Amino acid sequence: MAVAGIGNGMAALLRADRLSQRTRRALVAYLLLSPAIVYFTVFFFYPIGLEFLASLHTGQPLIGESRFAGFDNYMTAFQDARVRQSVIVTLAFAIGVTAASIAIGLGLAVLLNRPIPGHAAIRAIIFFPYIISFVIVALMWQAILDPYTGILNSILAELGLPTQSWLSETSTALPTLIAITVWKDVGYAMLIYLAALQSIPSDFYDAASIDGASPAQQFRHVTWPLLTPTTLFIAVVSTISQLQELAPAYLITKGGPADATRLFSLHVFEAAFFELNIGYASALSFLMFLLILAITFVQFRLLNREVSY
Amino acid sequence: MKLMKTASIYLLLMLCVALCIFPFLYMFSLSLQSDADILSGVPILVPEMLQFSNYVDIWQKAPFARFTLNSFIIAGGITFLHLIFDPLIGYVFAKMDFPGKRFMFVAILSTLMIPFFIRMIPLYVLTARMGWLNTYQGLIVPFAMSAYGIFLMRQFIRPIPDELIDAARLDGCSELGVYWRIVLPQVRPALVTLALLTFVFQWNEFLWPLVAVSTTEMRPITTGLTLFNQEYFTQWNLTATGGVILFIPSLLLFLATQRYFVRSVMLAGMK
Repeated sequence: MAVAGIGNGMAALLRADRLSQRTRRALVAYLLLSPAIVYFTVFFFYPIGLEFLASLHTGQPLIGESRFAGFDNYMTAFQDARVRQSVIVTLAFAIGVTAASIAIGLGLAVLLNRPIPGHAAIRAIIFFPYIISFVIVALMWQAILDPYTGILNSILAELGLPTQSWLSETSTALPTLIAITVWKDVGYAMLIYLAALQSIPSDFYDAASIDGASPAQQFRHVTWPLLTPTTLFIAVVSTISQLQELAPAYLITKGGPADATRLFSLHVFEAAFFELNIGYASALSFLMFLLILAITFVQFRLLNREVSY
Repeated sequence: MKLMKTASIYLLLMLCVALCIFPFLYMFSLSLQSDADILSGVPILVPEMLQFSNYVDIWQKAPFARFTLNSFIIAGGITFLHLIFDPLIGYVFAKMDFPGKRFMFVAILSTLMIPFFIRMIPLYVLTARMGWLNTYQGLIVPFAMSAYGIFLMRQFIRPIPDELIDAARLDGCSELGVYWRIVLPQVRPALVTLALLTFVFQWNEFLWPLVAVSTTEMRPITTGLTLFNQEYFTQWNLTATGGVILFIPSLLLFLATQRYFVRSVMLAGMK
């Protein structure tokens, strides 16, 4: 009813002759924008405010009994040994995945950036794992890495190499998780690098080879510097998305063994939905938000400075 | 020398391709094995007897048909809403002038810095208050638009000549008429890109259904399969069968649009 009323009012306004063309256009624009204004307010800005408010309470703010506690939750977070452990694990995970994706993705892009037969098919196959659900990735690799029935250990045994319980040793669990995530995501870095490589004018390489530069020198002095903005872009996008990644830990290791793969997001998830410690979990995720904001601002600064073809 | 080089590049690339394909083949092989094969303790790559009955059993042991239907409704519904709203809002920012435009645009773009994981807790509370837990609207509406999609569409709509739009306006076309008859037909390829990327990523969505759904019949395949792995399937063969079912739509969609898909990501990935 109310909506129809507003609609009629708007329609009457729009018909009024005394309204200038400009005002009419602006009204139409806001009318068309209104779903977006409502949507982003309700599902983005309001939740962030709500979360900050909840982070200032102990107990179960928003859903039950709670008590205002100022910044106590944040203080607790900084002293919590488990939080510290999960921050270290998360940074190692995010940096490990990002660095490996950049190195391997760039390598693949350079190899594929030539008109060899079948390069489109190869490109598509390497990219494919990026678009499947982590649920599938998790179950495939768990089956492969299973210490008793998995095929990797039997291959290793066949070759006379030592077998491992990859996901249940504290020393190998995190590197294995990183490797699985790189396996899934490296195709994205490869595609972005390929797009960037194709936009480098071939004159640059012609000039370099006339000057007698070897392929390695060409890569070092032409390709790599020109790819700097791309590398930065991938580094930031990948770091930000891996910092909040929950699926590998939740689906494959449950954070174990002995918290060796307890990613920050898993810690927050369990604090919120298993322990119902909503106030504390809100403070933890708000801290993650601030970290991601900081990384985004650094990205803007760096990109604005570096982009100069 | 040149031949050697090409051969070694091929060898390296083939190794990568094999590494990418092998897990899928292994999953497919597991899905066709019998319990005896799995329990034999020796990993089998090609089972002697192909047990296709796993693909029948799974529909009876778990409500997989319902999971699949839910996945289509959720991913399809979200994609549909994106196609309605993202280009429309993108058009307003690309072609209309109004006070506060810059502010509104920056405000919407700033939501790109608020990742989903950060909003998860308050969004759960909000959804619970609206009574939307365990409903399709609770799984669809919070993802109805994206700042990224709006930005992408604005970039594609901007190059359309203003003269074309003004001419249509002079001919008495309303703003919505201009949008529907002039603008949308010009950006059809971008709409396909938007639909493809949205559908595939929503099809894979795992975290929100995990949080917002607690009843079995509302689960999409992703969380349905995870739940049933933990509670009912103790054997790799049935788990792998579920994995193949979850994976087939992504594979078909990718095969059908492969060249286009790869180009979309190369294009859309560069913000």
